[in-house]
Amino acid sequence: MSHSISAKHFNCNACGKCCYGQLPLTIEDAFKNVERFPICFIWTPLHPTNKDYRAAKGYGVVIPGANQTEITVLIVPTSFIPSTLPCPSLQDNNLCGIHEDKPLRCKTMPFYPYKDERFQADLLSPRKGWECDVSNEAPIVYDEGKIIDRLAFDNEGAQLRLDVSILQVYADYMLKYTHGLAGKLSQNSTSRNPQQMITSLSSFLTATRNQNSSDIASKQLPVLDSFVKKTECEPQLKDFHRYYASWYREMEFLSKRKSSLNNYTSEARSISQQL
Amino acid sequence: MTSCPCTPTSSFDKCCGPFIVDGLVAPTPETVVRSRYSAFVMRSLDYIDQTHAPEICDDFNRAEAERIAEDVDWHGLEIVGTTSRGDGVEVEYIVRIRQSNRIVAKSSVSRFRQEDGRWLLVSSRAGQKVAAQRFLTAGRNDPCTCNSGKKFKKCCGIAS
Repeated sequence: MSHSISAKHFNCNACGKCCYGQLPLTIEDAFKNVERFPICFIWTPLHPTNKDYRAAKGYGVVIPGANQTEITVLIVPTSFIPSTLPCPSLQDNNLCGIHEDKPLRCKTMPFYPYKDERFQADLLSPRKGWECDVSNEAPIVYDEGKIIDRLAFDNEGAQLRLDVSILQVYADYMLKYTHGLAGKLSQNSTSRNPQQMITSLSSFLTATRNQNSSDIASKQLPVLDSFVKKTECEPQLKDFHRYYASWYREMEFLSKRKSSLNNYTSEARSISQQL
Repeated sequence: MTSCPCTPTSSFDKCCGPFIVDGLVAPTPETVVRSRYSAFVMRSLDYIDQTHAPEICDDFNRAEAERIAEDVDWHGLEIVGTTSRGDGVEVEYIVRIRQSNRIVAKSSVSRFRQEDGRWLLVSSRAGQKVAAQRFLTAGRNDPCTCNSGKKFKKCCGIAS
């Protein structure tokens, strides 16, 4: 077998170190795992001079910017977990509890479709503390700017492109109802270090007229409850804690709506009569 | 007397109560803005739902509104003015809320349309910027920042 000097070796040693922190998902994976992961949406305006702009642009929504320009924004359904905490599906033996059915993002690791295929080599260097095998013993996974086994990479990219039309509906909704959002995004898009913006699952369910909101909320509720508790006594995680606590209350409301709309209305009426 | 959130010098039963609790029709866009504010403060969000135009009804994120209504420390409503525009009426108003030790004012313009005698909210946008007021710098004998007409020390300053 002959391979160029640029050939990159990689083998996963199942150390579990990459199963910590935020996990970007497809919409389908977010809903499939709504009883496992705390779900939110993270907005990142793309800077046109970024080297991955061309690759990521196809997954972004377009919003109007200042002076008739357009800004491309990634809205990524995300499992919102602090970098110090493991994925809830990571088991004690460091193996994945849902391996066969894990999110596309996990299947594509260590590759990442938001980056241009030509620049994927960087992703093969293990981060500090990770135990990935990148020795010559490991199989060649990437060569001459191409991914060798590209099935997962292509699947994830294709799904992300399909998600754009729903995310555009969501973006239009949020822009209509969130005063100052367009300005903030446009400000961020010209910044070298764009800030992430976080929006809630409840807003996505409303914007997309989701008919299963109460079901989804009932599944998300215990997840948020557990993350409220996990972050309770950690001063450096207080922002995460605040988000989980707020979303918990929104999901609690939505989950109760299921019982029957009429019940809810009469309950509300009796409350307002007491006022 | 329970004072009305929109006008602390009036009684709720004579001001917004009839619209929120008894279901009377609010006669003007301004009274809808007032009663919607009062409904938020009193967490009667069914009333908020009922004052939406049909095309924006399904856009209402009720779960989030319920949480916000509960979390916000409401600090008064001020109507800036009402203007007729096309087939609708626009009301400009300022809502004040307390965030830690200051009062933050947010100005909005809401558009209303009349349908079967009821004024319904069609859309809202941000109004002119309003400077935040330092809450704790209000003198104890100054008029209260919530426009109640009382002295600060007898009103919102009572706790400090």
